[in-house]
Amino acid sequence: MSKFILLMLKNLGRNKLRTTLTALAVTVLVTICVVVLSVVATVRMQLSTEASQAKLIVTERWVAPSEVPVRYIPRLTRIRGVEDWTTWNLYVGFFDKTLRSDRAGLGFATRVENLTRMHGGLENVDPAVIEALKNEKSGVLMGSTLMQAMNWKVGQQFTFFSTSTAGKDLRFKIVGVMPAGVYPLSFFFRDDYFAEGTGNKDTVSLVWLRLRDASLAPRVISQIQHDFASSQPALKVETESSGVARFVEKGKVILFIIDFVALILSIDMVILLSNSISISTRERRVEMAVLKVLGFQPLHIVAMVVGEAMLIGALSGLAGAALAWGASALAQSGRLPSDGITSFLLVFPVPAQAMMWGALAGASIGFVGSVFPAWSARKVKVSDVFSRIA
Amino acid sequence: MSQAPEILVRVDRAVKHYFRGSECVEVLHEVNLEIERGDFVGLIGPSGSGKTTLLNLIAGLDQPTSGHIFFAGNEISAMNESQLARWRTNAVGFVFQFFHLIPVLTAFENVELPLLLTNMSARRRRDHVRMVLKAVGLDHREHHRPGQLSGGEQQRVGIARALVTDPALIVADEPTGDLDSKKSKEILDLLQMLQEELHKTLLVVTHDPNVAGRTRRLLRIDSGRLIEDRCDANRPLPLRRAAPVAVSSNSAGLVDQPG
Ligand SMILES: Nc1ncnc2c1ncn2[C@@H]1O[C@H](COP(=O)(O)OP(=O)(O)OP(=O)(O)O)[C@@H](O)[C@H]1O
Ligand SMILES: Nc1ncnc2c1ncn2[C@@H]1O[C@H](COP(=O)(O)OP(=O)(O)OP(=O)(O)O)[C@@H](O)[C@H]1O
Ligand SMILES: [Mg+2]
Ligand SMILES: [Mg+2]
Repeated sequence: MSKFILLMLKNLGRNKLRTTLTALAVTVLVTICVVVLSVVATVRMQLSTEASQAKLIVTERWVAPSEVPVRYIPRLTRIRGVEDWTTWNLYVGFFDKTLRSDRAGLGFATRVENLTRMHGGLENVDPAVIEALKNEKSGVLMGSTLMQAMNWKVGQQFTFFSTSTAGKDLRFKIVGVMPAGVYPLSFFFRDDYFAEGTGNKDTVSLVWLRLRDASLAPRVISQIQHDFASSQPALKVETESSGVARFVEKGKVILFIIDFVALILSIDMVILLSNSISISTRERRVEMAVLKVLGFQPLHIVAMVVGEAMLIGALSGLAGAALAWGASALAQSGRLPSDGITSFLLVFPVPAQAMMWGALAGASIGFVGSVFPAWSARKVKVSDVFSRIA
Repeated sequence: MSQAPEILVRVDRAVKHYFRGSECVEVLHEVNLEIERGDFVGLIGPSGSGKTTLLNLIAGLDQPTSGHIFFAGNEISAMNESQLARWRTNAVGFVFQFFHLIPVLTAFENVELPLLLTNMSARRRRDHVRMVLKAVGLDHREHHRPGQLSGGEQQRVGIARALVTDPALIVADEPTGDLDSKKSKEILDLLQMLQEELHKTLLVVTHDPNVAGRTRRLLRIDSGRLIEDRCDANRPLPLRRAAPVAVSSNSAGLVDQPG
């Protein structure tokens, strides 16, 4: 068996230029595919987990920016089916006085006690970081991309120049960083620090309600609409998934297009490999006939050709995925300057399993691409070895 | 210690048709032939007379349109393609005019190739390959690729490959056709050694009068009919169980069947 693999390897070494070019092309295509697909996978995963969490967003109905009176909160959270809640106050501004757009940021003032439970993606934040946030009133949990863009370390202090609450600039101290891809361009800080610093103790931008079960949503929504029907200001309630859905409705088309691009790339790879394998089998028809004369079965020939293609496919698939993964890991390690590409890779981290999938996908592409050439190669007639070809 | 000659190959009224478009061409007309085990048979005839066609039938590379081919009493013309492939591995060795070695494999690996189809252990394979390479005088070229060998050396590797599964029959189509006369003679000596010392049965298609002159029995074919069958009665068939002599002392192991 190992001898057959050795033979396949040697066959691949026959035309090193062709093998290298084919492998390179497949590698590049797999790299692109892996990045593109991990973008789609990350977005899809976020959509589905957020949607399944059955969260409601309560905002002020008519006025933007929304200001929900704090006095509403006890009535909202008492409704049956509401399991947990938090609030956001949006705090918009800049990290320095230049007011350059690449120094802009968005802060969320929120409750610390259930911060990790109420925000998808923050479940695994180190408890020590939350503890630090509880001890440090001006503490901030930073988005990873922001952190890189500003080239800051944990412990860094900064002043945020607010545009939403003019003149109320707050001084912050970074106590932790969020996982890559989770609110990458925002930061969380304490609601009591916000209230104290801006003097706004009476309203929040929005209230998050988490329900025991997604199926309770229609009932809770109609209850809120009933309870607050005559309140001033009026409230608007929607499920997070409908909010997200509205947000990604256009995004869905893009996801579909991205999938389509990945499909086209795969077809490209199949054609590329198939072409390369056909040429190499055509060059070796006599040899294959000789192998058959020596007693090799047609299936041996098919296995040899398909095996070669799968080998080259798997190796370049592995290489391509490793490339994408390596780039993503390097970007996340913070050793790269944060430009367009690295922040993109940060938002859509490539998992290490991608390498296994890359190798598997490469092997499958090799299989599909070589089935036809292999099938025709198996039919070489042994009697031709003496008469025609020789 | 005389023995009744054993018939290794029997061709019984073999007919072969080819279709060229819609036209049917009869290439072999009811050929009858018996080849004794241990014989050295030459097959000559003008170009297009059907030599290769007959060789293909006897070696199990093609099937007759009608008639029967027997090998050691078994009818190979009744086997299907995959049975034939299996049968060929152990029963027939092939030597080609253009050597047909696998260019990416070393001499050693080329010779080892047919053994990969047997269930012989790696160790025994290695010993076997070394033995046949030594028998053809190429033990010092084991690690050369075909491209690094001269034509004569490549043909020796081809002969070693034909020999390695210890088949009873070795067929060759113009084995010296691509070699100069000095190298041809060396290859002929080697073929003769296979017959005389390793007791192989040889069937050699040739245009080369030197080759024809060295065979024990000579068949002439013309337009698909055997028209002459001359046998050198002064040359007895080698005794099948003759004690190995000189050169073959290093190839004695070849006689036992592989795995
Ligand atoms: N596969 C085939 N299809 C059609 N005709 C064929 C085929 N193989 C051989 N023939 C024809 O059969 C005849 C005999 O061919 P064969 O190859 O046996 O001749 P040969 O005696 O070996 O000739 P040469 O000395 O040139 O090798 C030729 O006329 C050839 O054209
Ligand atoms: N590229 C090479 N690498 C290693 N050895 C080589 C190479 N080319 C030739 N040789 C060795 O050099 C010797 C002479 O080779 P060459 O091809 O000149 O022989 P030749 O006289 O032409 O023989 P023939 O008639 O068989 O072709 C051979 O033993 C061969 O193994
Ligand atoms: Mg011929
Ligand atoms: Mg030469």
